[in-house]
Amino acid sequence: MRPLDVRLPLDASIALLPEIILCIGAMVVLLVNAWRHRSAGDSRLAGWIALASLIPSGLAVAALWVGGARAAGAPFMVAVDGFRFASLALILVATAATILLSLGYLEREGLLAPEYYSLVLFAAAGMMFLAGAEDLIVLFLGLEVMSVSVYVLAGFNRGSIFSAEAALKYFLIGAFASAFLLYGIALVWGATGSTSLAAIGQQLGGPELPLLAKLGLALLLIGMGFKIAAVPFHMWAPDVYDGSPTPVTGFMATGVKAAGFLALARILVEAFPHGAESWQPAVAGLAIASMVLGNLVALSQRSLKRMLAYSSIAHAGYLLAALWPGTQLGLSATLIYLAAYVLTSLAAFGILAVLGRQGERDVTLDSIAGLARRRPWLAFGFSVCMLSLLGFPGTFGFIGKWAILAGLVEQRQLALSVVLVVTTLVSAGYYLPVVMAAYMREPVSADAQGVAVLPRPALLTMALAVGIVLLLGVLPAGALTTALATASEVIGGR
Amino acid sequence: MTQFLSALGYQYWILHVLLLLPLIGVLPIVLAPARFAKQIALLVTIAEFVLSAGLWWALPTESGTMQLQSSAAWIPAWGIRYAVGMDGISLMMVLLTTLLMPLCVLGSFNYIKERERGYYALLLTLLTGVIGVFIATDLFLFYVFWEVMLVPMYFIIGIWGGRNRLYAAIKFFLFTMAGSLLMLVAIIVLAWRVAGETGTLSFAYQHLLEHAGAVGGLAPWLFGAFALAFAIKVPVFPLHTWLPDAHVEAPTAGSVLLASVLLKMGTYGFLRFAVPFFPSVALDPWVTKFVLVLALIGIVYGALVAMVQPDIKKLVAYSSVSHLGFVMLGLWAATVQSVQGALMVMIGHGFSTGALFFLVGMLYERRHTREISDYGGIAKVVPVFSLIFTVVALSSIGLPGLNGFIGEFLVLLGSFRTQPWAAMIATTGVIFAAAYLLWALQRIIFNRLDKAENETLPDLSRRELLVMLPLLAGIVWMGIYPAAVLRRIEPAAQHYVAAARGAQGAYEVSQRGQPSR
Repeated sequence: MRPLDVRLPLDASIALLPEIILCIGAMVVLLVNAWRHRSAGDSRLAGWIALASLIPSGLAVAALWVGGARAAGAPFMVAVDGFRFASLALILVATAATILLSLGYLEREGLLAPEYYSLVLFAAAGMMFLAGAEDLIVLFLGLEVMSVSVYVLAGFNRGSIFSAEAALKYFLIGAFASAFLLYGIALVWGATGSTSLAAIGQQLGGPELPLLAKLGLALLLIGMGFKIAAVPFHMWAPDVYDGSPTPVTGFMATGVKAAGFLALARILVEAFPHGAESWQPAVAGLAIASMVLGNLVALSQRSLKRMLAYSSIAHAGYLLAALWPGTQLGLSATLIYLAAYVLTSLAAFGILAVLGRQGERDVTLDSIAGLARRRPWLAFGFSVCMLSLLGFPGTFGFIGKWAILAGLVEQRQLALSVVLVVTTLVSAGYYLPVVMAAYMREPVSADAQGVAVLPRPALLTMALAVGIVLLLGVLPAGALTTALATASEVIGGR
Repeated sequence: MTQFLSALGYQYWILHVLLLLPLIGVLPIVLAPARFAKQIALLVTIAEFVLSAGLWWALPTESGTMQLQSSAAWIPAWGIRYAVGMDGISLMMVLLTTLLMPLCVLGSFNYIKERERGYYALLLTLLTGVIGVFIATDLFLFYVFWEVMLVPMYFIIGIWGGRNRLYAAIKFFLFTMAGSLLMLVAIIVLAWRVAGETGTLSFAYQHLLEHAGAVGGLAPWLFGAFALAFAIKVPVFPLHTWLPDAHVEAPTAGSVLLASVLLKMGTYGFLRFAVPFFPSVALDPWVTKFVLVLALIGIVYGALVAMVQPDIKKLVAYSSVSHLGFVMLGLWAATVQSVQGALMVMIGHGFSTGALFFLVGMLYERRHTREISDYGGIAKVVPVFSLIFTVVALSSIGLPGLNGFIGEFLVLLGSFRTQPWAAMIATTGVIFAAAYLLWALQRIIFNRLDKAENETLPDLSRRELLVMLPLLAGIVWMGIYPAAVLRRIEPAAQHYVAAARGAQGAYEVSQRGQPSR
């Protein structure tokens, strides 16, 4: 494919084809809703349209990626490189899984408002802009499009006060975080006179950062820290994750987090190339705090959904550790770990949504006791997810952990490595009891005996996700090579 | 035999087949009706044993390096290969495993009554994992097998175990994982430091072994990480607390495999990785003293605690702590004899403790109690059982002519030359072993038959005899003719000692080089 000059409208629209298609899809869903918004069938129709619009978007990503699309000259506003295409693919996978899981869930919970699916698509488009942004303004726009859609999704279960609480909390904190981010952008602009990541990187060429840029960087980190739920900016996460409808929780834990991390990776690596003097100490601190606190608090959770919420904070810590080196190996580790985490979490939240049964009961260890006898495959899938989140060999999660450690060790960062493995051991203390309850305990109460309904689209999603987690756990060579190649484009391009 | 095997191309495919066959065997077990599960498992494990038996002839006996090596690219981005190979030590461990596995399956026929498919599928997965640990020659692969075999054992204890099984299962898992996670960091650091020196990123055993000096000042830390992982597995006092729980709660086959095979993975790790990688740290006089003290405490403490156990299974479990102390002593005494002795103890302990756990399981299946005080005088009721129990106990004590003797004797003999005090203290362990086992024998088999329930105990069935006979044969054969085994492990032992001696020699030179005060 010829180099794309993204300053020309035609070339820009080719480069942005995946995003554009999603936006069109979202609007089509909205249009259809105008006439058909009553029955379960209408809701399903909207879901399938949304799903269908992911396919051309995915094909566009594939065509750009395989065609080796590159920007002519300096990147402008939106990146055109392998790293962005990989990010887009990841976001599309998360979106597709979320839609598939929602199909049965919304019907079960009686949430028959088909607008849900257009919101998911808009959020996904926002994530794509966020993850591919080469300019702080595009980054902010993407972040807002994503966030506003997800605020609504969090409160989608209008009958539940917890859902309302989640939406309000998420909205307030989100607004707060956006303010930090904007202020940061303003300060960085003040220091460098530009909002383009590449231009900022060139301006801040020397190891010594001007005070203004330092302040701006700190505020950017705080703003993004809220979005990725890193300690100490995580307080909202458990309540919001717990209160939102489970598929939305899955979407937040995977899509939102992934987009946030991919954007953060670009900001740090491209705009602030001299990490050791500027952001590395802060990132290390955030990483350690998130790993330690997330894992320790997750230990004491009763509800599995809250447990997964805290564990996602811990995973934000691991991902920050992956970002820390800011090298090719580190960036590839971020990508690999994100992929592993996204796939595993989607399956885990999907299974949780099914287990919640009607009315979103709290799923606790007691309610999954003896699951292996009633639903052997569900128990197997959930156990694989837990082992992958734990980073156990044979699963994709292990490859991710290994990649992070390799990146850290290459830069001789042993302290973070040791904290990472020690907190991983702590996490075994809450992942294993899930496996234990499913396989080794007898059912506790009559309530737990109720049979969960497993809609076919959800089953398909979970089976695929678990299968891929296992497959890539054993044969990760291709994924790793791809991650390394795409990461080198970002590193080489600075 | 050798010619016949090489005509088959045996040396090219055997190691891969040994890894794959059990996994393939899992499929029919999961697919077929549950009542066929045990027969299929038995068939697969017997096939595995028959196939592995050829290794006895196929492996050249005179070489101490890795044989039958083969490898294929696996994760080129990180220089990771699927690489397997074998030397005398691996050979013995693999044969021990493949021999015990069909017996474990056979011994579980009546014991496991529910969820049979899962049980036998897990046993086969465990078999692959264990063999993988013993033949992997790439550290990534080794680590994967090392961790993966935790899962089947965790399930076997947790699902089919005794009353306190959940606690025992999670304790077993967490203890092992605690050690191995730090080892994971150590492996990565080692590989990247070596890559920094040589320019090739590789996890190949031989490559890392040759260039392990590149880690420089990090060596003590890396050795510590490896040693912790292996010491927990052995287990070295005071990291042994998971062992009594896991061994007692596990079903019979689980206990047998834990004691006979899984513990050996720890000492194997020391032999293969921790000491040869960092000999100057491992055999530093202070480290040696430290390890020896822990080993001696293990020997004496394990024996003393075993003596006061009211529960037979606990007694056998603690006796393992004591026996494995001998292995550690032999490894750190670092003479060819002591290392050969350590290997013999590893093998011999596999036979005799495995047999003891089987016998305890058979008693338990009959009376559903393991309290020593519930038995007494059963020699009259179950003569065959009692005879076998006595022979096995004597072999565990170390009676000359049976397998236990040769190992412990060699360890003591070999370590007397370099560590006379340690050897002397360890000798008391042999006496204690005689005390606790003979005392237990007396209370269980002899004494007066004063419990009415014991008067109707059935003697060993044909199936149970079939389980015990191969073990008995091994016990007697290794006691009478240990040369066949010794010959095969000698080159590997020499190899180990040469590496260790080299380090000690270097240490002495550096001591001498210092100006005298």
